[in-house]
Amino acid sequence: MEKDIKKQTTAKKENVKKESKQPAKKPVAKQAKPKQEKPKKENFIKELLKDSKKKAVEEPKSEYIIELQGLTKQYGTKTVVKNINLKIKKGEFVTFLGPSGCGKTTTLRMIAGFEIPTEGKVLFEGKDIAKLPPHKRPVNTVFQKYALFPHLNVFNNIAFGLKLKKIDVEYTKKTGEKAIKQVKLKDFLVDPATGVPDFSIADKDYYSYLEKGYVKLCKVKKTIDKITKKGKQSKTLNGYKYYINEKVRRALKIVGLSDYETRDVDSLSGGQQQRVAIARAIVNEPKVLLLDEPLGALDLKMRQEMQIELKEMHRTLGITFIYVTHDQEEALTMSDTVVVMKDGMICQEGTPIDIYNEPRTAYVADFIGESNILNGIMLDDYKVNMVGVDFDCVDAGFGQNTPVDVVIRPEDIEIKKKEKGQLSGVIQSSMFRGVHYEMVCLANGYEFTIHSTVEAPVGKEVDLYVAPENIQIMHKEHVDNTFPVKFLSNTTFDILDATYEFSPSACFENCEYDEENDILKINGEEYTLKGHEAKVKFNFYNIEMTDDEYAAPLAGNVDSMIYKGNHYLVDIKTDQGDHIYADTEYLWDKGDRVGIKIEPDKFKFVDCDFLKKETTPESVSEDKDTTKEA
Amino acid sequence: MFKKLLATPYALFMALFVILPIIMIAVYAFTDAEGALDLIGNFQDLAKEPALGKVIKNSIIAGLSTAVICLLIGYPIAYYLTKAEFNRTGVLIGLFLVPMWVNFLLRMMSTKAVFTVLGIPMGMGTVIFGLCYEFLPFMIMPIYTTIQKIDKSFIEGANDLGATPTKAFWKITVPLSLPGVLSGLTMVIIPSITTFAVTEILSNGKLMLLGDFIYSLKAYNLNMASAISLALMILLGISMIITNRFNKDSEKGGGLW
Repeated sequence: MEKDIKKQTTAKKENVKKESKQPAKKPVAKQAKPKQEKPKKENFIKELLKDSKKKAVEEPKSEYIIELQGLTKQYGTKTVVKNINLKIKKGEFVTFLGPSGCGKTTTLRMIAGFEIPTEGKVLFEGKDIAKLPPHKRPVNTVFQKYALFPHLNVFNNIAFGLKLKKIDVEYTKKTGEKAIKQVKLKDFLVDPATGVPDFSIADKDYYSYLEKGYVKLCKVKKTIDKITKKGKQSKTLNGYKYYINEKVRRALKIVGLSDYETRDVDSLSGGQQQRVAIARAIVNEPKVLLLDEPLGALDLKMRQEMQIELKEMHRTLGITFIYVTHDQEEALTMSDTVVVMKDGMICQEGTPIDIYNEPRTAYVADFIGESNILNGIMLDDYKVNMVGVDFDCVDAGFGQNTPVDVVIRPEDIEIKKKEKGQLSGVIQSSMFRGVHYEMVCLANGYEFTIHSTVEAPVGKEVDLYVAPENIQIMHKEHVDNTFPVKFLSNTTFDILDATYEFSPSACFENCEYDEENDILKINGEEYTLKGHEAKVKFNFYNIEMTDDEYAAPLAGNVDSMIYKGNHYLVDIKTDQGDHIYADTEYLWDKGDRVGIKIEPDKFKFVDCDFLKKETTPESVSEDKDTTKEA
Repeated sequence: MFKKLLATPYALFMALFVILPIIMIAVYAFTDAEGALDLIGNFQDLAKEPALGKVIKNSIIAGLSTAVICLLIGYPIAYYLTKAEFNRTGVLIGLFLVPMWVNFLLRMMSTKAVFTVLGIPMGMGTVIFGLCYEFLPFMIMPIYTTIQKIDKSFIEGANDLGATPTKAFWKITVPLSLPGVLSGLTMVIIPSITTFAVTEILSNGKLMLLGDFIYSLKAYNLNMASAISLALMILLGISMIITNRFNKDSEKGGGLW
């Protein structure tokens, strides 16, 4: 059944293409010599169908059709979208990709007009439309749950937008001023002598045309064959209804649902409803089509089929598509540009190939495709150390001994015979995945995921080799946790509204602390810390995560995790929305409530302005290096 | 088996207070004063009753105007109650329901007192006012629930396709809330034409609706009262079937029936 529909679609698509290739005659030229051409009355609507867009074709003022400038959306105190800047070219297929709650749908809704941005601009062809209501925007949306009107059948659902459509018509007033009038399609004027719709109402007032004998589009008669429940019947429609009928028929053809006009939307399957939703949007010929996870509710097979069809539609229609999804495969398959989002911000934008091959952060690498993400140290240009081995790479400009994240795609690790690779390990597991084997190899205490078409048996000792160009180096997003603190006493401080104990002698340089008398000496000077403010740093590996949130001063929820070969880097979001990063060897679930325990001697204080000047508080820099070994 | 036994009290209750009275009404309707079978006699008497025409006319006028007025007042109220900014805590909807807690007779008496003080003559106008006052909540509630159930994305979809908020209201909200309007209408019209205390109090007994008519008949002609009740019941049944059919056509909304 589905296959049949698909065949129909492709066949019909070709028809549509042919039609669109015929050069649409300029209506202005026709107006100049209408009598000579003598077009048949029946043909005029065809002309209308061909060039139903605005008569006054405005030259795009900007090469970008949509431009987001500093777009920000706040709900109360919560910022959902933070300062997004993005330029979308005409005809591009752009995908917003990110996990749920990353702000991608909110961004789309701001383009559609359902949300008004708190700050920033939405430029459409150079004009700010941020405050325009949705019905005035030249965009249409395909909703996640389709939002087909249940009280209307397929035809009326699709015709909904057409019936409301108004066309801007430029005319010159009697006073000589030019003005733009919005004319309902129904009221569109047709020259009764030639049957030609007059797109260019110049020099005359709109109403004077009526006096001249022009008729409204809805007054013209047109006979068609229509398939009704009783079978094929001839029906006489007025020009306006015929126009809508033709448009709906074509839209249905494009989505492969011809002859479904009279069906009740509730009687359609999910995939069919999806197609109707798409037809309902594209029939209005929007300049930008917004799609909010349109394939989310479909099963895998159907989804894959629709992906191909959507891509094909994008190609034939030439409309700009802005697509929202959390499915990375979908994004990579369909898009010209992928915009990866996290926490309301753009992490990276680029072509699918760029995003896959050159992820900018470990987060992007982890989100897009499978990858081995490891801590490394950039020893020098073109030299990186990870898992205790020095590798050649093709990246430079990171400086010397800089901690970095290293990403290696599973298919880029080659299994070599012993003594032929860069490091040796033992195959831990092997799984057949259809096209390739997915193997896990333990080398130097780190797990590597390898994809290969050749299987290495479990337990076999092998060597691994990674070509320099396949090692992707990126800056670490975070090297340690740094937060402002306020000292409550010589041994306690307040951080993010929680109280932690610390041992001063371990946390300050050159510090002596007399516990019994509570005397604190730093560089020989005596201090009372209470009331002073500073910043504290603590390393990822010094945090102990506990199930019992009350056993630790500070608690939060696990927001995301990245596996780093032998441990997880966990992003814990506190109740105030701050992020604390921790290394752990245990696997936690997203959303788990955890307590954050830190030993008293693991803190380092910096920016201690209250200390006398001769001390250098930046004493923690060498401590950074120990991070990667952990 | 045991589970079936549990249903016995309900079955008994239904038999005693629902089925039996209906049978009694039917029996009275089809017998004469002596208890002899007379299938059409009571209905013939009814047709001859001089007051009946006026009663029916009054009932239709009062019922329909009450329904229309309740709809005109109730729909906007129900609509705005579904808007979060108007009904943040649910207090507003509570305010519309609180009058229902005050005893119905008491409310009618005080309404009458107000009218008397204002010097407004008792008659059809005051009766319709009383009926609207009494039955407005029955209009608001079903409409409120149906509008609340309408998916917000339908409105957004309509706006997206170029409908102004006003157009979206008429093309989406109104048709999708029709089942609620229908239940509201039924819940207002039927009780308002069969009630008797309101007319009694608010027209000083001058005006008679079907309820008052049945009430007045029962003193001297129980058989005729039964006949008219039975006719009303059948009419109600038919209207209910039509309403249900209507509801089935647009399953998305959910009325109270």
